[in-house]
Amino acid sequence: MTWKRLCGLNDVAENAVGKFDIEGIPILLVNYGAGYRAIPPICPHMEEPLEESGVVVRCILTCTKHLWAWKLDTLEMQGETEKPLKTYEIKQEDGSILVNIEQELVYEFDAEADDDDFFK
Amino acid sequence: MKITVQSKSGETAFSCGDSEAILHAGLRQGISLPYECATGTCGTCRARVVSGAVDVRWKEAPGGTRLKPEKGDILMCQTRARSDCVLKVASEIGIMESRPAPRRGVIRNIRKLTKDVARFDIDLSAPMNFEAGQFVVVESSHVVGGRAYSMVNFDTEVDLIELVVKRKPSGRFSDWLFGAQQGDPEVTVFGPLGRAVFRPREDKNILCIAGGSGIAGIMSILECATHADYFDSHKGSVFFGVRTLQDEFYLGPLARYVAASHGNLEVTIALSDEVATTTFHAHYPELRLASGMAHEVAANAMASGAKDVIAYVAGPPVMVDSTIRALIICGMPSRDIRYDKFG
Repeated sequence: MTWKRLCGLNDVAENAVGKFDIEGIPILLVNYGAGYRAIPPICPHMEEPLEESGVVVRCILTCTKHLWAWKLDTLEMQGETEKPLKTYEIKQEDGSILVNIEQELVYEFDAEADDDDFFK
Repeated sequence: MKITVQSKSGETAFSCGDSEAILHAGLRQGISLPYECATGTCGTCRARVVSGAVDVRWKEAPGGTRLKPEKGDILMCQTRARSDCVLKVASEIGIMESRPAPRRGVIRNIRKLTKDVARFDIDLSAPMNFEAGQFVVVESSHVVGGRAYSMVNFDTEVDLIELVVKRKPSGRFSDWLFGAQQGDPEVTVFGPLGRAVFRPREDKNILCIAGGSGIAGIMSILECATHADYFDSHKGSVFFGVRTLQDEFYLGPLARYVAASHGNLEVTIALSDEVATTTFHAHYPELRLASGMAHEVAANAMASGAKDVIAYVAGPPVMVDSTIRALIICGMPSRDIRYDKFG
């Protein structure tokens, strides 16, 4: 378990996203007002960059490219979304957001594993 | 040839002729393969070839930029089978009610509407039923690859479809279409396609935001709605974005839809590169004129509150993207947004 400082509590505005690089691992912090989520910075659908295509409104993150969306407090998939978001564990400490990085989270189209991973 | 698709939904098999795209083969047999543009620009129909030989027609298709060819990734809309194939597709696959089909067609009545937009008809070899808002893929033996066009007209069992084409700099298909034609050019037409459809039974108010030639499918929706007396009991708002008044077209039909709507349909022409003038209203008192990008004008109107609305968005990809973004920020649920993005 490796906790790293991601950013300050106020570095990402409410209903906004911010992209950070922690030792070569890109992480998107999503501030949905009632809380935060740290996720890989790409949409699991077609690899759209969520720092550009992601919109946060009323606790829902929507990738505006093809309208995949997730409720941020429960991570429920919305509408026709077919894949869950992967999330890093986070905690708040001394005005900072810390993220627990065991390894980079990737969706299957990035995995170098064999084809059995294609559907995951 | 037999195509077997492995997906989250299990295995599905269908047959494929040697001169049709794998996507078309599946769709015409009712297999709901994933797609959006069906013309190589979006990348939604990607699949991985597990076994079998394939022939990729348009290797530089912009929708293929994220494919991993070394792993056998293809776009099904650009690929033909050369043997029995097994493919993997990373989405759910079911059976569709509607089945698109290939038809032969003859292009007629090409007429310029503006300096770079023309309308044309295609006479179909067999009648087609489609839903308002759908499109077809048109292919000519003179040009590689298909082009997607939304139907402008609406009716059942149509044997003639009206389409709109925007001439693009170095656009090979539009150059061919705008160029000197010997006789009436023959094409193949595959469709109907697309899920950005209007269904009167959904009983919702409608918001349509179109950029340029994207108005085509919206015209079909308005024709269908008007024919169904939909605006007797539902509201409709249309925002048609063009650069300047020189770029407008279809204002006559739009004005007639407004006039027939008992005050329930509003159509606003949004001018991105020109200040709205008042003389316009003398010609088209039924239509409104505004300055700004269509999505900004629409978002301002949305802010005043619209309930039970389904939004239809059509136009160039950048316009569609910014419009969807504006609608989401306005608080519209993603399930109520339908769009076509042909690229």
